[in-house]
Amino acid sequence: MFDYHALLPEFILGATLLVVLGVDLLVAPRRRWLAGAAGIVGLLAAGVPLLTLAGVGGTREMFAGSYVVDDFALVVKGLFLVAGAIVLLASMSYLRGDRYYEGEYYFLILASIAGAVVMASARDLITMFIGLELVSAPAFLLAGWRKGDLRSNEASLKFFLIGVLSSAVLLFGMSLVYGTTGESTFTRIAGATAAVSGESAFVLGVLFTLVGFGFKIAAVPFHFWAPDTYQGAPLPVAAYLSVGSKGAGVVGLLTICYSAFAGARDVWGPALWVLAALTMTVGNLTALRQSNVVRLLGYSSVAHAGFILVPFAMAAAFEGPALEEAFFGSLTYLLVYAFMNLGAFAAVIAIAERTGSREIDDWAGLARYSPTLATLLGVFFFSLAGIPPLAGWFAKFVMFKAVLGDPGNAWGVSLAVIAAVNAVIALFFYARVLKAAFMDPAPESLPEGAPLSRPLAAALVITLAVTLAAGFYPQLLAFFGEAARGLALP
Amino acid sequence: MAEYFQDYITVAVFAGFGALLVAAAVGVGWLLRPSRPSAAKATAYECGIDPVGGGWSQTHIRYYIFALLFLIFDVEAAFIFPWAVRLEQLGLFALVEMVIFIVILLAGLVYAIRKGVLKWES
Amino acid sequence: MTVNQFLILGALLFSLGVYGVLVRRNAVAVLLSIELMLAAVNINLVAFGSLLGDTLHTGHIFALFVITVAAAEVGIGLAIVILIFRNRSSANVDELDLMKW
Repeated sequence: MFDYHALLPEFILGATLLVVLGVDLLVAPRRRWLAGAAGIVGLLAAGVPLLTLAGVGGTREMFAGSYVVDDFALVVKGLFLVAGAIVLLASMSYLRGDRYYEGEYYFLILASIAGAVVMASARDLITMFIGLELVSAPAFLLAGWRKGDLRSNEASLKFFLIGVLSSAVLLFGMSLVYGTTGESTFTRIAGATAAVSGESAFVLGVLFTLVGFGFKIAAVPFHFWAPDTYQGAPLPVAAYLSVGSKGAGVVGLLTICYSAFAGARDVWGPALWVLAALTMTVGNLTALRQSNVVRLLGYSSVAHAGFILVPFAMAAAFEGPALEEAFFGSLTYLLVYAFMNLGAFAAVIAIAERTGSREIDDWAGLARYSPTLATLLGVFFFSLAGIPPLAGWFAKFVMFKAVLGDPGNAWGVSLAVIAAVNAVIALFFYARVLKAAFMDPAPESLPEGAPLSRPLAAALVITLAVTLAAGFYPQLLAFFGEAARGLALP
Repeated sequence: MAEYFQDYITVAVFAGFGALLVAAAVGVGWLLRPSRPSAAKATAYECGIDPVGGGWSQTHIRYYIFALLFLIFDVEAAFIFPWAVRLEQLGLFALVEMVIFIVILLAGLVYAIRKGVLKWES
Repeated sequence: MTVNQFLILGALLFSLGVYGVLVRRNAVAVLLSIELMLAAVNINLVAFGSLLGDTLHTGHIFALFVITVAAAEVGIGLAIVILIFRNRSSANVDELDLMKW
């Protein structure tokens, strides 16, 4: 019943959390970065049992099926661990230049990652709820990390109120699902669905659950907190929210929909279709008007949540291999998005440090005085826009291929058309930033910026490597998506 | 089920007698005592000296930290009760689990103390 | 003894909470309204748990977890509200309008 090997990543993360707290207590304030370093080591160490588990293979079930370690869980856990390490790297220099707490910051990021890792294996309403809260609760505090900054305060309170509200809605949905099916483990909920699928309480429960997750992944019309929070929060935290927190929401939504609500696809399918179409369109159109780069990335991440939902939304209409393909499409998009978005944020952090501004206009002529940063920005933004041969192109390709899995399906085709139009709109606002950086004349007096710190450079190199490699050699990430697709067909 | 409610009748009778007793004592006092109200009697009692300031004062925000630390161990009890009920069936394993759980909570308390959260000055 | 009256109570309490979130302006009052919603969830869970005669007591255990998580969230929320109150001398959510689309 208690599989130590399968739970080893969680144990290592828990121990790392205590170690980080201890390091924070014992070392001098000037050497607090050691806590961050300990965190990175812990995250990488937690990745080792993932590899050995993948080597052994097979599905391990614990606690009467409520905690499952399968290929999907391993892939997603790996993603969160790596994303966490990149965020910690990107945070280190940012925190050094700040007068705010450092040790606690690393601790909270790690706690949130631990929650995401639990989410990946959660196959039970209670476990999933605990995982989701463990992801969100530290993030509320992190968003308000700049205590003296009114914007950061505001970001934190908005994020907190929306986060708790969404948890309450989600829980109400879960309580109805539990009440109507009488089960809380996903596979058994799926087994009991047939008897209650017509009951309005059950349908309501499923829809409430969707709305709760909709807030977490910032899908339109539940997205309004996201750009405000990203803009007000410290930049590395915004990067974390757009990948870790959103990723955990997507993973939760994928697991709960494909496994627990497998019998209710006609309920969540159409709802997700509307969410996907709205999220892409509103996210991209609003991003067009932004003058602040971070806010622009906030709306762009809203839009990308829409792209992730595109194949997902068609699951109701698909069967067999096409359904599996849809799951693969969403998951692969998430994997690619995580790396290129972290890269984009890392580049924005570096450029904001260099220019001292987050306004697009202030980045004019960046390529003249800092060609490396400008090129990096170009790579990540073009990847987000889906330009070949970068990783984002492959993600979009998989997404379109999945949604068109049944060419005769008018809903699938129309959603693909909406997605295509949106991909073009997105190109405009990404290109606008790059036009300022590459084409506009540099200001008379160049801004005095700090040189690129080594941890941030490391974060940039890792994300750049993955973005390029996954673009030129798509099998790299597709391999992971492929391994994890089994969840779609129970 | 009937037995279940009978037990409650005992409780209700007991509570009724208690209320009656208090009412009788207060009522007799009210009947016997003289009533001469004055302004001085209406002021707040502060150990016999004249009260300073209003009764509505803000509680210092530092109490929040204490409330928060209390909350952690208060809520911990929510897990300990069900655990304690089943401890005999669950055996040593559950005992070790709970010790780990509490040690982690204590680590948080030690952290808070070392960070000087409980110090009043500064 | 049916489960309906509990569910109606839960739904009413939940709606009351949603109403409070939408109309109250003080951040603490909004927080209290969200607590009402969570209380509604707990009523639902415990009522369903008893109705189903679940031998694992899933509903009750779930409610315990909801209570503890809610407590943690209130701790975080009050910390944020205090922070904002210190900086702006107000906990009014309407005044938080530095950032707009």
